[in-house]
Amino acid sequence: MVNLEELKKEASQILKEGKVKYIIGLQSSSNGLLPVPAFIKNPEDVEKLVWNPACVYNLTLFLRDEKRRKAKEKEPDEKPVGIIVKGCDSRAINVLLQEEFIKRDDVYILGISCENTGVLDEKKLAKKLKGKKAEKVEFGEKDDFVITTEDGKIKIAAQEVLSERCLECKAHFPVIYDVLIGEKTKRNIENPFKSLERIESLPPEERWKFWKEQIDKCIRCYACRSVCPMCYCDECVVDTISFVVTPDTPAEEKAQKIKWLEKSPVSSENFVYHFVRAIHLTGRCIDCGECERVCPLDIPIRFLNKKLEKEAKELFDYEAGFDPDQPSLVSSFKDEDPEDFIR
Amino acid sequence: MAEEFEPKIVAFLCKWCSSAGSDLAGVSRMEYPSNVIPITVMCSGSVSPLYIFSAFNKGADGVLVSGCHPGDCHYIKGNFYARRRIALVKKLLEYVGLEPQRFQMSWVSAAEGIKYTQVIKDFVQELKPLGPQKKLRRIQ
Repeated sequence: MVNLEELKKEASQILKEGKVKYIIGLQSSSNGLLPVPAFIKNPEDVEKLVWNPACVYNLTLFLRDEKRRKAKEKEPDEKPVGIIVKGCDSRAINVLLQEEFIKRDDVYILGISCENTGVLDEKKLAKKLKGKKAEKVEFGEKDDFVITTEDGKIKIAAQEVLSERCLECKAHFPVIYDVLIGEKTKRNIENPFKSLERIESLPPEERWKFWKEQIDKCIRCYACRSVCPMCYCDECVVDTISFVVTPDTPAEEKAQKIKWLEKSPVSSENFVYHFVRAIHLTGRCIDCGECERVCPLDIPIRFLNKKLEKEAKELFDYEAGFDPDQPSLVSSFKDEDPEDFIR
Repeated sequence: MAEEFEPKIVAFLCKWCSSAGSDLAGVSRMEYPSNVIPITVMCSGSVSPLYIFSAFNKGADGVLVSGCHPGDCHYIKGNFYARRRIALVKKLLEYVGLEPQRFQMSWVSAAEGIKYTQVIKDFVQELKPLGPQKKLRRIQ
């Protein structure tokens, strides 16, 4: 069970000592179950911090904004930023460190171990409660969640309402941290790619039908791109779609700004976008599941990333986010990489 | 009689080997199907997955990436990177349900004109029964 008091104590201490500029955490929101991000500068404000199973967010996203903000300032404050992370988020920090997007001194990591639980899947919970509205979710004494509804409190075993990615999580404790809250407990996962089997077991034509149906829904709002802590390119390939070619456009500009795909949200263009996204996240995605959560059309984007994560593991024995010093997946190779598909 | 389907293949050929290999096939007057649209690239490692997706998007029935044999890369290790990347792209395309035959990779050296013609012949043979690629193609 996560000790919130301990978290608050640590947070207020580092703020008082002036170790960090501010702390990125979560505070309860006025609407709904999910909390909202909090940026805490004053030690008094740490009381606002919350930690419960509804803290699904990957806060490392804000490190991207912090870096951009810092780049614009004339005299940036070089002090690190405090950030509260779960196991999966800490792996995101590892990937950012590996890519030298941030430096270790830029962040002060308050790691929280999920122990035997994880984060909530809102849809599973709604199903479980059968229409009743949950007002509050807390960690229970053991591996269960205490849910407050209009009819009072009920206990539900965590396993039943955990999000799918938490059930497949390989390390549910932070792999990199300055302060660790909670214990590093061991949890046995039989098959970390179990959810994929649903799609993988389908025959190719069925699989195509499934994906076409899903990808066709995409309205190209790019919410998945905005929420991804790994999507930090200053210029994204899909943004070139707004490039207008007129008779006056010089050849160099045309050569630099190729219109790889069209803006229209039709099947073929959506596929290119989602392929590019998936390939770009290969060996970098740490399965925080945010892309899927923010998708307004419920496209199972996670399954694209997860599949490539599985292939990276099986073909190249590569796992993202465990070692900030390892070379990245596509910028390294081994002599014994498989080549049976090559003629 | 209905005309037989002729697949359109986009081939990304490494400048230092496969492209020269295809040249050798041509100069030696070897016969092979004319379904290939060759695009010379500086190295198979420089083929971005986006090129491949884009080729399918713009109507290719098949895409071939061809580079030097392992160890022969002009840039020492470009083809090793390509091998990794292409493997992942191939898995991804198969995962969404594209026929695995539509995307291939080969090692063809500058001296292997015969192998190049064979690769193309086999590729065309495999593509013909599949018919046109409509899944990822942009509808005009």
